[in-house]
Amino acid sequence: MAQTEKKTGLLRRTSSSKKPLKEKVVLMYEEIFAKEDPTKNNPRFWDELFLMKVNLEYLEGKLESLDGDEVMRVKDNINSLFHHCVQALSEEHQIKVVNALQTLCALFRGVHQKNKSATGFDIINMLMGFDKAELRMKELMESLDSLLCGDGSESLKSLCLKLLLCLVTVTDNISQNTILEYVMINSIFEAILQILSDVSSRSQHGYDSVVLLALLVNYRKYESVNPYIVKLSIVDDEPTLDGMGMVIHHALTDYNRQYKDKEEENQGGFFSTLTSMVGSMFIADADEKLSVQTNEAILLALYEAVHLNRNFITVLAQSHPEIDMSATPAAPVPASPTTPLGTTPPSLDMMNNPELPLDPNLQTSNLLITFLKYSSIIMQDTKDEHRLNSARLCLIILTCIAEDQYADAFLHDDNMNFRVNLHRMPMRHRKKAADKNVPSRPLVCAVLDLMVEFIVTHMMKEFPMDLYVRCIQIIHKLICYQKKCRVRLHYTWRDFWSALINLLKFLLSNETILLAKHNIFQLALQVVNLFNMFITYGDTFLPTPSSYDELYYEIIRMHQVFDNLYCMVLRVSTNAGQWKEPASKVTHALVNVRAIINHFNPKIESYAAVNHISQLSEDQVLEVVRSNYDTLTLKLQDGLDQFERYSEQPREAGFFKELVRSISLNVRKNVSLSTMSQDLLLKEFSSIS
Amino acid sequence: MGDTELELSPARLEELQKSPSTSSTSSTSSLSLPSSPSSGPRALTSSSPSTSEGLPTSSPTLDVISEGVGELSLVIDTEVAKKACQEVLQKVKFLKPDGEVSSATSEPVLVNGTAHPESTNGGKPPKITTEEAEPVKSVRRRQKNNSSKQSWLLRLFESKLFDISMAISYLYNSKEPGVQAYIGNRLFSFRNEEVDFYLPQLLNMYIHMDEDVGDAIKPYVVHRCRQSINFSLQCAWLLGAYSSDMHISTQRYSRGTKLRKLILSDELKPSSQRIRREVPQPPPSCPPLLHHGQGMSEHSLSPSKRTHQRSKSDATVSISLSSNLKRTASNPKVETSQDEDLSSSSDSLELEAGTTNCAGNQYINKNCDKLVSYHCKSVPVRLTPQREFIKSLMGIGKRLATLPTKEQKTQRLISELSLLNHKLPARVWLPTAAFDHHVVRVPHTQAVVLNSKDKAPYLIYVEVLECENFETSSVPVRIPETRIRSTRSVENLPDCGITPDQRASSFSTVPNYDNDDEAWSVDDIGELQVELPEIHTNSCDNISQFSVDSITSQESKEPIFIAAGDIRRRLSEQLAHTPTTFRKDPEDPSAVALKEPWEEKVRRIREGSPYGHLPNWRLLSVIVKCGDDLRQELLAYQVLKQLQIIWEQERVPLWIKPYKILVISSDSGMIEPVVNAVSIHQVKKQSQLLLLDYFRQEHGNYTTEEFLTAQRNFVQSCAGYCLICYLLQVKDRHNGNILLDSEGHIIHIDFGFILSSSPRNLGFETSAFKLTSEFVDVMGGLDGDMFNYYKMLMLQGLIAARKHMEKVIQIVEIMQQGSQLPCFHGSSTIRNLKERFHMNLTEEQLQVLVEQMVDASMRSITTKLYDGFQYLTNGIM
Repeated sequence: MAQTEKKTGLLRRTSSSKKPLKEKVVLMYEEIFAKEDPTKNNPRFWDELFLMKVNLEYLEGKLESLDGDEVMRVKDNINSLFHHCVQALSEEHQIKVVNALQTLCALFRGVHQKNKSATGFDIINMLMGFDKAELRMKELMESLDSLLCGDGSESLKSLCLKLLLCLVTVTDNISQNTILEYVMINSIFEAILQILSDVSSRSQHGYDSVVLLALLVNYRKYESVNPYIVKLSIVDDEPTLDGMGMVIHHALTDYNRQYKDKEEENQGGFFSTLTSMVGSMFIADADEKLSVQTNEAILLALYEAVHLNRNFITVLAQSHPEIDMSATPAAPVPASPTTPLGTTPPSLDMMNNPELPLDPNLQTSNLLITFLKYSSIIMQDTKDEHRLNSARLCLIILTCIAEDQYADAFLHDDNMNFRVNLHRMPMRHRKKAADKNVPSRPLVCAVLDLMVEFIVTHMMKEFPMDLYVRCIQIIHKLICYQKKCRVRLHYTWRDFWSALINLLKFLLSNETILLAKHNIFQLALQVVNLFNMFITYGDTFLPTPSSYDELYYEIIRMHQVFDNLYCMVLRVSTNAGQWKEPASKVTHALVNVRAIINHFNPKIESYAAVNHISQLSEDQVLEVVRSNYDTLTLKLQDGLDQFERYSEQPREAGFFKELVRSISLNVRKNVSLSTMSQDLLLKEFSSIS
Repeated sequence: MGDTELELSPARLEELQKSPSTSSTSSTSSLSLPSSPSSGPRALTSSSPSTSEGLPTSSPTLDVISEGVGELSLVIDTEVAKKACQEVLQKVKFLKPDGEVSSATSEPVLVNGTAHPESTNGGKPPKITTEEAEPVKSVRRRQKNNSSKQSWLLRLFESKLFDISMAISYLYNSKEPGVQAYIGNRLFSFRNEEVDFYLPQLLNMYIHMDEDVGDAIKPYVVHRCRQSINFSLQCAWLLGAYSSDMHISTQRYSRGTKLRKLILSDELKPSSQRIRREVPQPPPSCPPLLHHGQGMSEHSLSPSKRTHQRSKSDATVSISLSSNLKRTASNPKVETSQDEDLSSSSDSLELEAGTTNCAGNQYINKNCDKLVSYHCKSVPVRLTPQREFIKSLMGIGKRLATLPTKEQKTQRLISELSLLNHKLPARVWLPTAAFDHHVVRVPHTQAVVLNSKDKAPYLIYVEVLECENFETSSVPVRIPETRIRSTRSVENLPDCGITPDQRASSFSTVPNYDNDDEAWSVDDIGELQVELPEIHTNSCDNISQFSVDSITSQESKEPIFIAAGDIRRRLSEQLAHTPTTFRKDPEDPSAVALKEPWEEKVRRIREGSPYGHLPNWRLLSVIVKCGDDLRQELLAYQVLKQLQIIWEQERVPLWIKPYKILVISSDSGMIEPVVNAVSIHQVKKQSQLLLLDYFRQEHGNYTTEEFLTAQRNFVQSCAGYCLICYLLQVKDRHNGNILLDSEGHIIHIDFGFILSSSPRNLGFETSAFKLTSEFVDVMGGLDGDMFNYYKMLMLQGLIAARKHMEKVIQIVEIMQQGSQLPCFHGSSTIRNLKERFHMNLTEEQLQVLVEQMVDASMRSITTKLYDGFQYLTNGIM
């Protein structure tokens, strides 16, 4: 059966390739692009048209090739085609619906490709006619909404989403896409939510819906009231939010696994590394680039959810067994909303689900962990523009998370311990840490680890100043929470301090290069203020008294760095110039650090002199520190535990505009591809019905 | 106890028997009949407040309801009474030839609508009361010829002394169908809680003993199953568990299995439908009967409390029924306000809580659907939610067992429970709790996996809302986890008006911290503010925004100085002041969780819970055991409870803590955890101290009040458990099985090896009980007063236990029926148990015995060996 089908398919292809023979549908298209009303000769023209298989290339090409005058001539016919497409959407015959959807897709795309420079209003006029536009779009959106929410065929729903994605991404800048104004008025938000809340539809269309939502939210975000933003911000239905989290989680997990597979492939032993090294000398990381394919659209969706919706934070911590996507595509998901609580057995879908993987090696995971792992991969290499943007977005998301009280609460929850295997960049001066040794700790440790990891691995010429600032801000926010709630985290603060000091050292030694591009004083100030937090408020969040001693030890040990920093900022602040002001702030911030150094260094020297020791051991230094606290006076600095809350506008507006543009391009590219493959699906579909 | 004997002429009896239709009406009188002066009026008055509670305002409905109340209990009574009537009458017929001797003094006594015409010769009443089980048997044997004996028995049965324990004992020992039937009926007259205690015994008898006993018990069980979902499930679980020892072929057709199926088929629903139908026919014959002063003994015998309870629960059924019928009639959303008037007070409260919630409507909607389906459409789901709840808890346990490490188990447990949370609240409850409630949330991050080698028992905390009746009160509406946050959800919208500077300043100045916390629950704000360190509040002058600015702006102001030494000192002080907690140990995750004081845990979880603000919020905990047979534990619980009652009754200040056991099947169940207690193994491992030093660390020095109290608690509990260990031959007493609570009590857990069974029969633990020198040290050494007190307590306890030996033996003996449990291995289990009570010794001899046992236990080399063995094999210190 299938074979004969294939054969006929083959036959058809060969026959269609014969030049003189034109497809019927093409003939009909030609009729549309003629001036005449096609129904004149054939009253059933439109009925027949939607029974034909759509020839996208032809239709798009034709639309593209029209010039201004021609457009005006065939405008009525195009309007009528659009109108009949919309009407066909409510047809019972599903073939017609499919064809209408594809035709619409081609219409939107063709018209836009043609009219790159034209205003949105011209396009609307061309497609629907000004007078009818509102009505047509209303009808279209309503039809799409009912198709998405109805229990029709899944491939139909998928096609609907493709159409919407196509419509949303026809322009490079989403905000210039005037047709979307109608999508704002006739919201399909509810349909998207419904898809996300349902288990089976989520697994099939979740990705598209999430991407669509993320894009729609970004339509004229800063200029007008976007109903999608408002609606997204107030969603509080747990199954829906969970569903959204699940889709994002799967996408990120997928990426992480792909990366890991690739990594393992590359690490196939000494020999293969050698050969790959040799190979890479000739081929410029062809397959390396492949893994670079970051998923900005999903990341943007995660950002919007975290940023706009407060309830989504709980989803981050919603833990579930790490599910192998490839093995079980229709992943078991919590609570389907259709089952009212209690009346149906609570265990129906999840509890006794035999599909629940019982593999003992499976780690329990949650969206946050997956996101952290993903971030650790992304942050490894920020040279590429896409990856830099992704890394920036990751840090922005983390900033939002670190600001959220609820998120902080579960990050610091002592009962929620996880092993988070972050990816670490292999570097010359350190061995790749063995994966399995990571202890199980509260999640905030993983966040701090990630930040420390970033700090130590990005001290390079192309200094990502912006990312460093965000990184330090995240740490600062977390520490503010710890101070406020008196969370005493058992973390290896020592490594953390030395990472910060090394950062200062790097700033100092590359002062001239960096100053040309960045305000390094801002970063230095943030770092010094982190130390001030520890010095003045250490009693509220340090885990042990000895950790306070160690802080002093670390400062004293590295006093050279602080001394040099002080010299540098003093020098800059005494010279008049653009850096005078920021540098003087750093000098003031250093007051306590300098007090510590100046207080203890003579004490240590005299201790060494008295005891005739040239080199003091750590314990001896600590002993000196402990016995000399009481004579040290510190100056209290105000506002150390205050921070500026994250706000997208106006600081990040530019970034997001560019990001959305690049996502649009990417999605458009992929949608067109997959719409083509939709043909196959369609064939299957037509044989069924 | 109502021991009223009412006259009933044989003619009336005949009448009763002939006309079952009137019998139903005749029994109506029993409800209102003041059987005994005290109980009658109370029954009436107590039932009325319960109805008025539910309906505070609407008077018209009150009428309907109160009418319903009468009929409800009425119908149930008639049914039961009818059945019982017929059964017993049949037997009476059989007895009649012998019992005809009824003399002039004979009083036909009415039992459940039946008269036992027995004669009461002026005999010697003490005979029966002093007679033990043996003599009763002889009575039974002789009674065909000598009916006077039986009348003595009857006298006993109707006396005030006759309690549930005796009823069970006679039910078990008597082979006389009449007596069995009588007791079967008498069960109705005991308080539910009293009978519930002996439920395992009753059901085991039902399963494993002859037809007659079963027939006697069944009506009662069926009746109670109709009344209560909880009882139904308990019965079903116990029936399943106790049938499991039978051969598979017989099991399938056994009585127990049949009854279990019947219960689980959910046909035993409260006969509410019938009630409705019968409402329009008020029984006319009620008043005349009342007038005659003739009543059915079931009620005349029943104490007031029972009548009260039944009428109450039935009343609420009808209330929610009526309200729910209304709900179906119209749109539930619109109905909510109206419902508030109709339904009980707690109901309306929950609905109110729901409406304040954004998602309220939606959830109310769901809720209504659920309720409607419960009461109107599908009564079959009556048992389902709870069964599924339990099943999913067991499922989690099974899956956990497949994971290799504790850490993975813990993580998996947390994630599984978080999924379970999605299904809550629901009409489910913890059967181990003492009050009615609905489970609303499982704080999943608090759950811990307990220490076990190959199984995966785990401890969960469960948030519940107390309610009047879990069957009829409406299920609380779901409150999303982020309830406290929802008010702020629009805050992060792109705000056009505010410039970034304004934004920054508004968020960074100190007073705005409150703003920021606005959305948090009131407790949170308070807490967070309190926790702002003093220095901070001193220095916050609101002028500055950032440290940078402040430093420049403060140039003019006087700078504030702090001493580094103070910071360091505060740090060490604060750490010292925190209560002694255990360190986190991935291999022993439960230690930390169990060490945290219960009150603190409750407070902490309440703060984090979206339901925490509700006044009826409670926290419960339960251990879910999967793959373990808890039937022995249940037996031990019963014995412990019985001994506790005995000691309390005899005023011996021994302290023991029986913890509740729920047997779900022969290999699963639940345990009520002992709160504020950690195992001695955990204590020693974590503190690395001797027990005495740990006591001093926890409670202060020797002379402090606290230490002395803890020491006394230790001694009293130690004495109690030593006796238990001796009497029950509790083995496997390593330190992982002995808990120490925050007040100094020790608590033995894990009764897996009792009576005739011991672990692997290695011959360890030959001493009577475990008494290590460390224990003695805590008691103040061998010469201390407390040690003498300990021995004295043991003696008193043993004497008291001996006095009531029968009550203890009976519990064990009945459970031996048909049981394959290892604790009943061999034939001499009961005999040995009896011997350990040393009935033949004088008190002086007993004292010597106690001394000997204490001595031997203390010197026992095997105890030490066993601890060493445990340390080597299981790492238990």
